[in-house]
Amino acid sequence: MLTFIIRRLLIVVPMLFVISFLVYLGLELTPGDAVSHMIDPEVASRISAEQLSEMREALGLNKSFLERYYIWIVNVLQGDFGHSLAGGVPISDIVFDRLPATLELSFIAIVFSTIFGCLLGVFSALKKGSLTDNSLSVVGMLGISIPEFFFGLVALLIFALNLQWLPIGGRLLPGYETIWDRLPHMVLPGFVLALMMTAGVMRYSRSAMLDSLSRDFIKTARAKGLPEWRINFIHGFRVALTPVIVLIGFRLPTLIGGSVIIEQVFQWPGIGNEFIAAVRGQDYPLVMMIALFSVFAVLMASLIIDVLTALVDPRVRLD
Amino acid sequence: MTSDIALSVKDLKTYFYTNNRCNKAINGVSFDIRRGKTLCIVGESGCGKSVTASTIMQLLPTLSRIEAGSITYHAERGDIRIDQLARNGAEIRKIRGAEIAMIFQDPMTALNPVYTIGFQIEESLKYHTDLSLKEIKKKAIDLLRDMGIPMPEKRVDEYPHQFSGGMRQRAMIAMAMSCNPKILIADEPTTALDVTIQAQIFKLMDKLKAEHDTAIMLITHDMGVVAELADEVAVMYMGNIVEAGSVDDVLRSPKHPYTRALLDSIPVLGQGKKQAIKAIKGATPDPYERPNGCSFAPRCDFATKECDVMPDEEYISKSHRIMCANYKAVS
Ligand SMILES: Nc1ncnc2c1ncn2[C@@H]1O[C@H](COP(=O)(O)OP(=O)(O)OP(=O)(O)O)[C@@H](O)[C@H]1O
Ligand SMILES: [Mg+2]
Repeated sequence: MLTFIIRRLLIVVPMLFVISFLVYLGLELTPGDAVSHMIDPEVASRISAEQLSEMREALGLNKSFLERYYIWIVNVLQGDFGHSLAGGVPISDIVFDRLPATLELSFIAIVFSTIFGCLLGVFSALKKGSLTDNSLSVVGMLGISIPEFFFGLVALLIFALNLQWLPIGGRLLPGYETIWDRLPHMVLPGFVLALMMTAGVMRYSRSAMLDSLSRDFIKTARAKGLPEWRINFIHGFRVALTPVIVLIGFRLPTLIGGSVIIEQVFQWPGIGNEFIAAVRGQDYPLVMMIALFSVFAVLMASLIIDVLTALVDPRVRLD
Repeated sequence: MTSDIALSVKDLKTYFYTNNRCNKAINGVSFDIRRGKTLCIVGESGCGKSVTASTIMQLLPTLSRIEAGSITYHAERGDIRIDQLARNGAEIRKIRGAEIAMIFQDPMTALNPVYTIGFQIEESLKYHTDLSLKEIKKKAIDLLRDMGIPMPEKRVDEYPHQFSGGMRQRAMIAMAMSCNPKILIADEPTTALDVTIQAQIFKLMDKLKAEHDTAIMLITHDMGVVAELADEVAVMYMGNIVEAGSVDDVLRSPKHPYTRALLDSIPVLGQGKKQAIKAIKGATPDPYERPNGCSFAPRCDFATKECDVMPDEEYISKSHRIMCANYKAVS
């Protein structure tokens, strides 16, 4: 197990190299550069070509592609992630500023959707065909098919604008206020994100549970004279757990990378919002950093999935 | 109770209700299982053997129910009408696994893949005995050793996927035998295993029968197995026992045309390729559209008008009974 984890961690390094190069190349191939985005088109017509190239030189944009990539990667290896081209703020500051906001929402969504998704899914499966099961199925379908932004906007309309129970958006900076002041800001985005995920987890755990309950070992357990709760949970749910864990694991990277839509709708200052702005402005050091971070999150999530499945399913061997 | 009957089934009918249609899977079946004896139930696929076993254990799926008849378990504490117990109620749970145990056809899927063999054997013991955890662990190891599994101390902590098919079936038998059941129901326990393993498993079951006086109900479609192991035989066809009796009765002087056809359709080892194997003509009727009379009549060479009504069970000797209007004409 340990050697497996170490080996997987070692693969992460070359992967990050390759991917950083590809993202850099992608940015290079898009028309325009950071300077052309920084300057208002109206102003641009009045600025001389010399002034433009001076600006480019100041930002190091006049060097060749490979040269720039080399400088960038050497700096990164020394722990210097550079400054945002747009605001001049150190990239590490931006990431460490934005990441907690995103992780906060992700944490709420994961915990809530895992607990409630599994509970509802298992309950649905145990009551298969009942009114509760059918209504939950309909709700689950709606939850999956209604787009996040629509759901988010409706929630805002009802709870923030009409009832005025909760703030419209944004997030108070940590440290400035107590957690109790910040909590109301988290409720709506956290709730909407969690609810969308709960629908998926519920549908998935229902079908995993039904599959598990139809297996032969359930009949064996019954033939042993075990009580129903033990058959359903110790035998049935335990086996249904593996696919559910995989599903939740697959959600991790998107959550850590920031749920762009939710962050936009609720003006949540998370990493996803920042990424969109950076790509639009071709702020390449920032794009690079966030992209690398997301890739890292994906690789870590898949490692976590593998380790967790090996822990819950003895048939899975890690080597 | 001085009789040696462990369980008696009388006129049992189990119907399945699927898509608003009724499948009379078991349509009036009677038999006794005796202590220290093996009753073999044979018959073609789909004739209701597994359903009979599930009915006795009250393990039927929700879409089916016991329509009529009785299942009486002659326990030491008095007779128990299993058919009248609540499906997964406390009373049937006390009997399952402890007094009536079951072994299933496919040992590959009958064990839970995420728990160790030991855990699964110990589970039964925890629920049905007062032994301490330490004693339970020891008993699980002893059981595996009795079943001929080498290094049981180590094997007990392994998972089903680390066992071969034969070993898994032994583990299943260990599990079934863990609480010394009075009755063991084995539903084609060796169909998924190769022939040498099959012989070992049967030897094991025979030993258990002799040592613990267990009553065994063995479901099979292998006539060789019947000849080897059975004390009594019941031949099933489309939900009825068409012929039943001691092994000698049924194998040496079969009276029902179906039994004869079944025996004729078995190749005999050593007779070479030229022997005439007679497959039974036709196919089993649609279970939803069963004939009104004898269900074998459409495939029977001896069928007459009398076969259009369901024949009664008739005893031709004290132990030998048959359901055929024309059995006298057959011999
Ligand atoms: N779960 C079920 N749902 C609906 N019908 C069923 C179910 N189980 C069995 N049946 C029906 O009951 C009848 C008897 O089936 P059963 O499984 O007892 O056959 P069998 O004699 O055990 O056959 P095999 O030798 O193939 O195991 C069949 O017509 C089958 O279609
Ligand atoms: Mg069967």
